[in-house]
Amino acid sequence: MAALRVAHSPDKGRGIFAAHPIPAQTLVETSPVLLFAKDEWETHGRHTILDHYAFKWRNGAMALALGLGSLFNHSETPNLSYSTHPDSDEITYTTTRAIAEGEELCIYYGNNLWFQPAGAAASTSDVQIEDGWGGLSNLETPDFLEGNPDDIIPEDELPFERFKPPPNEESAETIRTAQAWVVDVPDARNIGAMLKWINRMGLDRPELGHLKRVRKTPTTNTFLLSLDPDAPTLPPEIELPDPPRQLSVPTSAALTLTSLALKNALWPTTYAPKRKGEVEDWTRRKARWAMQAMQTVVDEAIKAQAAGELAIAAYIPSEPDSFIAHDTRQSTAHPLRHAVLNAVRKLADHHTVTTTSSEENGQNYLLTDQTLFTTHEPCIMCSMALLHSRVKEVFFLVPMNKTGGCGGSTCLPFLPGVNHRFGICRWKPGSINTSGISIDDVVDA
Amino acid sequence: MDSDNQFMAEALAMAEQAFAAGEVPVGCVFVRDGRIIARARNRTNELRNATRHAELEAIDEILADHDLTPQPRALGVYPLSTTTLYVTVEPCIMCSSALRQMGIRHVFYGCANDRFGGCEGVLSVNSALPHPVHPPYPATGGYMREEAIMILRRFYITENTHAPIPKSKTNLAASPTPSAFFPRELVAQSQFLRDLTCPCLRKYNV
Repeated sequence: MAALRVAHSPDKGRGIFAAHPIPAQTLVETSPVLLFAKDEWETHGRHTILDHYAFKWRNGAMALALGLGSLFNHSETPNLSYSTHPDSDEITYTTTRAIAEGEELCIYYGNNLWFQPAGAAASTSDVQIEDGWGGLSNLETPDFLEGNPDDIIPEDELPFERFKPPPNEESAETIRTAQAWVVDVPDARNIGAMLKWINRMGLDRPELGHLKRVRKTPTTNTFLLSLDPDAPTLPPEIELPDPPRQLSVPTSAALTLTSLALKNALWPTTYAPKRKGEVEDWTRRKARWAMQAMQTVVDEAIKAQAAGELAIAAYIPSEPDSFIAHDTRQSTAHPLRHAVLNAVRKLADHHTVTTTSSEENGQNYLLTDQTLFTTHEPCIMCSMALLHSRVKEVFFLVPMNKTGGCGGSTCLPFLPGVNHRFGICRWKPGSINTSGISIDDVVDA
Repeated sequence: MDSDNQFMAEALAMAEQAFAAGEVPVGCVFVRDGRIIARARNRTNELRNATRHAELEAIDEILADHDLTPQPRALGVYPLSTTTLYVTVEPCIMCSSALRQMGIRHVFYGCANDRFGGCEGVLSVNSALPHPVHPPYPATGGYMREEAIMILRRFYITENTHAPIPKSKTNLAASPTPSAFFPRELVAQSQFLRDLTCPCLRKYNV
């Protein structure tokens, strides 16, 4: 009777199971390999499903295990070790411990997994999983279902990691400035007349709202006039010794005291610290909400893959209507039909149908105060689309280090000078099974 | 007038169309084999969607047309590999990335976009930023630049009836009318024509 049988493995597709108990250190399989030359692999093989199965062989060749070899699944705690034999073009598989009847036989695929391992966090094995995030073993319950929903969840127990934009304009060279016209009014008796004149001339403009109008020094009072390229004409009735001159002034209010000191050195600037709770507290209720939203988007991605699409989905859980979409670039033969753009479009189309008010600029900032969940870090196009739409925060599960616009290839909301910033929350690996939503790391998600 | 400027004039005509429709006036044409295959303009207000930029509208048009985009496409051949874009304003980061994913051959633009530009303006999405698959493409600015800026200024100065209205009465009293942002006499002066650096333009994404 054969020691091994092929059967369905929960979350992993087919797998190899022990048909009866097997002692430790037993050679259970010898798989001959099919070899791909380096060029053939680069041109063809790696673009196919074979990329998930092949082993590195010598001289840059790649080897596909025949026999049962390609059916062993991955485990963080494998019970099978394998050895490659380039001389005989074979791979052998040996048990590392005694195997019980019905137990699945798994190997360790290596450190460059193309997917997040199934059940990594739920593993009850005696081996502590080092997930690189400080361990997840102290998580209370993975879905936050138990306990008072109003409790604040400590930051390190949240299922995701939050990224804040780096402090902005915290050093002299990063202060953004514009050229403003100013004029000295040494005689303090003229201050009232100058203020009236400024008001009359309409120089009280919003773009100067973050700056003080007058800068007082022991010797003179300097008035801020305008940001126009041309010098304003001064009031003839007020005697001023000097013509207007240009100065660099900050373009926005100061968010921190450090920034305020730097800005005040240029021109007296208002101090507008972010409101309390810049880093929002997360209650168990909210954590539960996020966990369910992320699970929803993963389920949608798995459905998409079953329908022949890339396993990428995006979800905007808003009231009263939520919007969910998956990638459709395969079925539409349109390379830009990404999940995020599809979700934004669904939301916009809904608004176009349901709102009848007159058009105004600003109404298209659809995602103001909204959170978007997506399975994969959005590409640069989609990240900028979210920035254009003024999204509040973006949660993603799988980082896309080569193509992502939220920290992978670049981080758009943290670029200096962009007119909107959104929060980025990266899911910690392990708390949600992502084995069903793997995509190639060169794809723009 | 050489052909580049001719195509840019066509793009400007699309920007005029956007202007007439109350949209931020940006227009573009896509050219293949010396012929315009698609024209589009900004439709962000109409479609309530800040991502419906002229470039993406035109790409949708090209892909929907099976004469322009034969199906199925040959593996590894980009849909826009023989196509050139003429657009009045430097493509934003979103559109620059979209164009790279579509394998555009070359982009010509009018004025730079210091706020959102993805072809060197803010980020070099078209070339310097590495991508594991999509090749870089060249982007060249300055074609009919002043005309491209003029139409934007015209929009913001006098015709922007779609600008959000201040909510409170006190704000209303303090806020200048749109024309106060850019006095007409200044607009005519060419030294005022700096690319989209004016704070008033910054709140709009183009």
